[in-house]
Amino acid sequence: MSDTKLSLDFKGLLCPMPVVKLAKAIKEIQVGETLEAVATDPGVMADIPAWTRSTGHELVSLDKREDKTFKFVVKRVK
Amino acid sequence: MTETIELALKTLEAQLNQPLETALEACARCGLCAEACHYYRADAKVEHIPAFRAEKLRSVYRYEHDFLSRLFPVWTGAKKLDEPTLASLTEIAFSQCTLCRRCTVNCPLGVDTPLMMRAIRAMATASGAAPEILVMLADSAIEKGKDPSFFKDLFLEQITEMEEQLRDVTGDPTATIPVEKQGAKILYVPLAGAHTILPPAVVFNAAKEDWTLSIFEAANYGVFLADVSRAKQVAKRIVDEASRLGVKEIVIAECGHAYASYRWDVPNWFAGQFDFKVRSLIEVLADYIRDGKIKVDPTAIPEGVTYHDSCNLARNGGLIEEPRYVLKNVVKDFREMTPNRDEAICCGGGGGLVALAEYADRRIAAGKPKAEQIQKTGAKVVVAACENCRLQIGDINEHYNLNVKITAITDLVVRAMRLPKPLPGMEAEHLFEGEEVTVERG
Repeated sequence: MSDTKLSLDFKGLLCPMPVVKLAKAIKEIQVGETLEAVATDPGVMADIPAWTRSTGHELVSLDKREDKTFKFVVKRVK
Repeated sequence: MTETIELALKTLEAQLNQPLETALEACARCGLCAEACHYYRADAKVEHIPAFRAEKLRSVYRYEHDFLSRLFPVWTGAKKLDEPTLASLTEIAFSQCTLCRRCTVNCPLGVDTPLMMRAIRAMATASGAAPEILVMLADSAIEKGKDPSFFKDLFLEQITEMEEQLRDVTGDPTATIPVEKQGAKILYVPLAGAHTILPPAVVFNAAKEDWTLSIFEAANYGVFLADVSRAKQVAKRIVDEASRLGVKEIVIAECGHAYASYRWDVPNWFAGQFDFKVRSLIEVLADYIRDGKIKVDPTAIPEGVTYHDSCNLARNGGLIEEPRYVLKNVVKDFREMTPNRDEAICCGGGGGLVALAEYADRRIAAGKPKAEQIQKTGAKVVVAACENCRLQIGDINEHYNLNVKITAITDLVVRAMRLPKPLPGMEAEHLFEGEEVTVERG
């Protein structure tokens, strides 16, 4: 079991909403903590890494799952 | 003077050119802009009159540029810019104006109030007061352009899967979604996600087009920030890609601000002549139908269908008859909203507002005139050729209980092409039957 502080459901959200909601949610956890989210829009495969690179937060993992959803874990860095 | 105010004023000064100065000086206070504005039509209060909003910036401009106003500000209604005033200006420019320019085309003097709202947005962005999410989205796009390698493999993996879906639904084992094809005629620039890639891929393959897919997305949040530096960096990714591949034209997905900016602004930002032209996907669809390159069934969509003119496509982009030509070829019962075309009423989702959760209530309230227009047509399907418009109309559909289905033009064309198998999300025989696909929005 991970120590993820927040689990989010972004299924059905289209661009740019996963990033919009992620940006809001990251403020709800403390520095050093992680959140995880599941999305269905393939756009997250590019958008989430780009967002973490531009904001300085850490993308811990980003995987495509067998049910064709995308799961990513982000750590708040600052 | 604080550093924030200094930056904001410096940005205002840097933007002063003939069009902006004319807008700042020319208002006759006739009030004709009031009824033109969807905010005022939704809630007729003085704060919703474009001239009232513009006066907020004019008062700051007067203080800076008029000797008498500086000495006796009370006499002329001049205002020295301070932090609360900048915060108020910022809120007005980002939450009470979608930059639709309906006020401008209805102004006897042609006063460009959205140009003033853009000036404020630029001041806010430069001084760090702009909505954080718009800055983040613009910066994320810029990051993709700096080093595409961090997402390219994942992107290509997705495209391979989409290609399999494409072959399955079309029954054509040779159907492809080419990426980075050197010398292709068309560089098609989608939005993020499969919904703006698969349907156009169906069409391009059926038309036997020589095309290639951009690895970047068309959306440009730098435009909403009125930050030319950021907007130019976002656009440069695609300009460079088009130049590198040697394409003849860039074709932009169904996206209002992306089309208007690539068609009209980008050439100015880069101060040069490109070797390629810019068109909207809608223009390409119209050509394919006109030239018989794709076959569509004119009885495919039996429901009443109405079309929402995106402000950036119609009023600001000049794409007015092309979408109607396409729709009349695939729809049996087409109904116009009134007013329409270059006089169309904004849906309320433009200017980046769809991404600004903090202003969602205002956005939905300002969508009331559009909701009423849709209701009056009695149509069950609303077509919009802009992602932001579709998201906004989806929200007002829910809020005002319109009970309509919202879709893109390309999706209707693909339905009318009568594929051997339907694309995902198009399984129902009719648009208004079968299981609805629920799309949650922020």
